[in-house]
Amino acid sequence: MSEDGISKEPMLEMYLFEGNQLVEQLEDIIIKCEKDKRFEMGAINEIFRIMHTVKGSSAMMMFNHIGSVAHSMEDLFFFIRANQNIQLNFARLSDLVLSGIDFIKAEMHKIEQGHAADGLGDDLIDEIKTLLTQMKKSYEDQHATPAVVSNSSPDGTKTKYYISSYKTPPEENAANIKYCVRVFFDEDCQMENIRAYMVVNNLQDIVNELYHIPADMIDNEQSADIIRDNGFLICFSTAVSYAEVESALNQTAFLRKMDINQVDHYPAEITALHRKREIVLEDTPEADRYPQSENLETSKEGDPRTSNNRQQNIISVSVAKLDMLMDIVGEIVISEAMVTKNPDLAGLQLEGFSKAARQLRKLTDELQDIVMSIRMVPVSMVFHKMNRIVRDMSKRLAKEVDLEIIGETTEVDKNIIDHLSDPLMHLIRNAMDHGLECKEERMGTGKPSIGKITLEAKNAGGDVVIIVRDDGKGLNRDKILNKARQRGLVHKPEHELTDKEVFSYILLAGFSTNEEVTEFSGRGVGMDVVTKNIEKIGGSIAIESAFGKGTEIFVKIPLTLAIIDGIEVSVGKSRYTIPTISIRESFRIDEKDVISDGDGNELIMIRGQCYPVLRIHRIFNIKNAVTTISDGIMVMIESDSKTACLFVDKLVGEQQVVVKALPRYLKKVQGIAGCTILGDGGISLILDINGILERQLS
Amino acid sequence: MVTTKMAEVLSDYVETAEDTQRGKFLTFSIGKEVYGFEIKYVTEIIGIQEITEVPELPNYVKGIINLRGKIIPVMDVRLRFKKEAREYNDRTCIVVIDIRDISIGLIVDHVAEVLVIPSENIVPPPAVKTGFHNRYIKGIGKVGTAVKLLLDCDKLLNDEEIDTINKTV
Amino acid sequence: MKSVLIVDDTMFMRLSLKTMLEKNSFQVIGEAGNGAEAVEKYKELKPDIVTMDITMPEVDGVTALKQIREIDGKAKVVMVSAMGQEVMIRDAVMAGAKNFIVKPFTEDIVIKALSKL
Repeated sequence: MSEDGISKEPMLEMYLFEGNQLVEQLEDIIIKCEKDKRFEMGAINEIFRIMHTVKGSSAMMMFNHIGSVAHSMEDLFFFIRANQNIQLNFARLSDLVLSGIDFIKAEMHKIEQGHAADGLGDDLIDEIKTLLTQMKKSYEDQHATPAVVSNSSPDGTKTKYYISSYKTPPEENAANIKYCVRVFFDEDCQMENIRAYMVVNNLQDIVNELYHIPADMIDNEQSADIIRDNGFLICFSTAVSYAEVESALNQTAFLRKMDINQVDHYPAEITALHRKREIVLEDTPEADRYPQSENLETSKEGDPRTSNNRQQNIISVSVAKLDMLMDIVGEIVISEAMVTKNPDLAGLQLEGFSKAARQLRKLTDELQDIVMSIRMVPVSMVFHKMNRIVRDMSKRLAKEVDLEIIGETTEVDKNIIDHLSDPLMHLIRNAMDHGLECKEERMGTGKPSIGKITLEAKNAGGDVVIIVRDDGKGLNRDKILNKARQRGLVHKPEHELTDKEVFSYILLAGFSTNEEVTEFSGRGVGMDVVTKNIEKIGGSIAIESAFGKGTEIFVKIPLTLAIIDGIEVSVGKSRYTIPTISIRESFRIDEKDVISDGDGNELIMIRGQCYPVLRIHRIFNIKNAVTTISDGIMVMIESDSKTACLFVDKLVGEQQVVVKALPRYLKKVQGIAGCTILGDGGISLILDINGILERQLS
Repeated sequence: MVTTKMAEVLSDYVETAEDTQRGKFLTFSIGKEVYGFEIKYVTEIIGIQEITEVPELPNYVKGIINLRGKIIPVMDVRLRFKKEAREYNDRTCIVVIDIRDISIGLIVDHVAEVLVIPSENIVPPPAVKTGFHNRYIKGIGKVGTAVKLLLDCDKLLNDEEIDTINKTV
Repeated sequence: MKSVLIVDDTMFMRLSLKTMLEKNSFQVIGEAGNGAEAVEKYKELKPDIVTMDITMPEVDGVTALKQIREIDGKAKVVMVSAMGQEVMIRDAVMAGAKNFIVKPFTEDIVIKALSKL
C-alpha cells in the first residue's frame, strides 16, 4: 500500500493485465523481426513505446527493477530510432529483447502469485548498456557528427536564451515599479527549470522587462538543481498593482514559498546578466524535434491486439464480473423453469400463461446467448504464444520450423482459454522434439528441410476443434502396440484395434516409447497430464498419424459448459438429464426385440442396424428402477464414433439446463458430466454421453 | 427439525469473529456417544432434506443436496464411523461445515449444544486400536462428568482411506 | 466539481489518474487514447480540464494541445510527461499548457497540479 492510501488492487490488476498484453505484443514483434531479418521503423517505434509505457507504469507501481530494465531497453531503442542508419546485430538484439521480455514476464508472474518482484535485472541491464555503448561507438566511427544520444534535448550544443516578448517596449517610466521575487518550488515537483519558465510565461503580459537567474532554463540541465537549492530569482518592472503581481505569481502550481520585494535597483547579479545577454533565434524545424513523428510506418498487422488505442468501441471488463453475470443468468434460467414448470401448474390449461411463458423463454434464451458471447475470446492470444515456444525450441534443437496458424479468430469461452495454453505448449513441444526429424533425415526422405507445424482452430457443431499437425515422422503403430501389450493395457484382440485406438495409448500415464528422455519431453509425464487438463475443461483428444508423413492431434473442447438443452429422464428415484445434442431419437421397444449374447450384453436392431443397449440402472446401480424392457423407454444416443441405446424408466420433459459441477470432494464418475437444479428444487445428474459410451463399449 | 432456540444460539455463534470461536465446540450425538468439533468450521445446521444419490460413492457419502442453489455432498457420520445405519427422522440434522474451500454436510442423529471447552480440559485420545473412528478423534473433552469426543474435521474429510476407497470403486 | 478529460494511450495511466481524481472531487467525464481522439472528445464533452499525455501514437500530446487551444483559447490542459522531455514540455507551455506533471507521480502531485486551475 502506498502512503497516499490509494488501494492498489484494481491498479495492480490493470498493471498486470496491460503489462502482460504489452509484453505479448512485444514478443510477437520481435519474433517477426527476427524472421524477417530486419527491424522496420514501425517495429522499432512500437518497441520503444512499449518499453516506455512499461517503464512508466512500473514506476507508478513502484516495481523499480522492472522499471529499470524497461528503461534501459527504452534508451537502447531510442538510440536505434534516432539513428536510423545504424548497423544492427539482429541476433544479439532480439536475444536481448527476449531476455528482457522473459525477465518482465517472470517478475509479473511473481507479482500475480502474491510474491515480491525481487529479481534484479542488473546483469541484463549491463548487457543492454554494453550493447548501447558499442552501438554508439560504431556509429561515431562511421559518422562525423556525434549520434543523438539522450532522450532529452536533441540539440545539446548551444545554450540558448529565451526572451519573452513584452507588450510595452522597455522604457524607464515613473509608474513602473521594480520587483525582485525569489520562488521556491515543492520538493518533488520535477523539472523546476520548466516550472520557472512557466512563471516567466505567466508574468509576460504584465511586465516591461524581466530578468532571471538561472538565466537559461531549458537547455541547462543543472538549472533545475540550482532552482531547487537557491530558488528561482526573477526581477522585473511593471506598472500593474502589487495585487495583480501577486495573483499572477500565485497561479504557479507547486509553489512552496515566494519572497516578493519591491526594490529600487536590481541586485548586482541581475545587472551583470543584463549586459551579457545574447539573442539566438530558435530555428530548428519542428519535425526534427520529434523523431517519433507520425509519418513513420506504424505496425500494419491489423491484429486487434497491437492497437488497443485504435479500438475505441471496446472496453475491458473484469472476468469476475462476467462470472457473476453468467451465474445470475444461470439462476434466471433455473428460476424461469421453476415458474413455468411449477408442480402447482400441473394439469392446468393456461393459454395466456403458456404464451407469456414462451415469450419469457425466448427472452432468456437471447439473454443467455448474448452473455455467452461476451465471454467468448479468440484463441489468437494463446496461439501467438506458441510462436515463442517454436522459436526457442527451434534454436535449441537446431531444427528449422515454420509455425502456421489457421483460424485464430475462432472463439472460445474465457474460462476455457486459460486452460488451453499449457496443453498446447506441450503438444507443440512434443511435435518439435519427437515428431519432426532433423534436417538431414528430412532431406533424405525428400521432405522440405524446414519442418512445418500447423496450429488450427475451427468450429464443429457445439464444439471447437484445435488441431496440432506436424509433417514429421508420424507414429509407429507396432511400437506403440508392443509397449501397450507389455504394460498389459491391451484388452481387445489386436487386429480389432483401430489406428486411432492404438495411438490413444500414448495418452496414458507413464507411456513413452522414447528411449531417451530429453529436456522437453519423453518422460512420459506429459501426455496424460495434457489429457487430464483437456478433460477438465470437458474436452477430448484424438490422434491420427501416418507413419513417415506426420501426425495430427485433435483437441475437441465444448464451446461452453454452462447452459445446455437437455431431456430429463427418470431411472428409479433418480433423475438424469441427457444433452439434447447427443440424442438421435427415442422409442418404446418390446422385450422380445432385445437380443442377448452370452456375456450379458444386449442389442437391438433398428432399421437394419445393430445397436448396443445400455441399461442406466445397471451402469449406475440404481435400485427400484424399471427393468422390464416394455415398461421403459429407449433413447438412442451418439458420440462422434459410437452409437447406443440407453434404457431408462421414462421421459420427463425437455428443458434448458444450467450445468453445475459436482462438488470437487466427490470422485469423478465416468459418464456423469455434472448436475443441475430442477424446477422443483431437486437435482438431476447430467450424463456425459462420451463418457458412458467409452465406459461401456471399450 | 432444528428448534428455534438452537437456531438462535447457533446464529449468535456463527457470526462471531474467528478468535472468539476458539474453544467452542458444536456437539452432536450418534447413538450413545457425543462428538464435537470446533464451531469455526460450521456454517449452518439444517434439517434433513431430500438427498440425490450419486453413483459410485463410498457408502457413507449419501449423495448431494441443494442448499439454496449450492450443491454440496453429504456424509452420514454414523456410517463413516462404521456404526449401524439408522433411519432418518425429524431430529436428524445436517451440519454444514466448511474446511479449506470444501463444503460438506454431515448427517448426525441430532445436534446437542454449543459448549466451551477450555484447552486444559482436553486430553489427547488414548492410543487404543479398537474402534475405527478413533483415527478421527483429535482429543477428549471433559465437561463436568461427561466426555465429548472431539473430532478432527480435516481427517474426517481427507483421510487417505478415502482416496483408496475411491480408487477401488 | 470540475470535469476532467483524461488523455493517455495506456489503460493503466488512465485508470490511475481516474482513481486519483475521483477521490478528490474531480469528475472524470471522458477518456481518450490518442491525440486525435482527445480533440474529438474535447469538442464533444467540453471538459473544464484536460490531462494530456505527451507521447502517444497517431497524434501526440503537444499537437493535440495546440489543436484544442485553437478550438478553445480558454482550454485548460495539464501535460503528463516522462523524465527528460523538457523540450516538449517547453513547447507545450509555450502553446498554452497550464501546467505539467512528471511520471511517476503521486496523488498529491496530481491534485496540486489541477487544483489551481
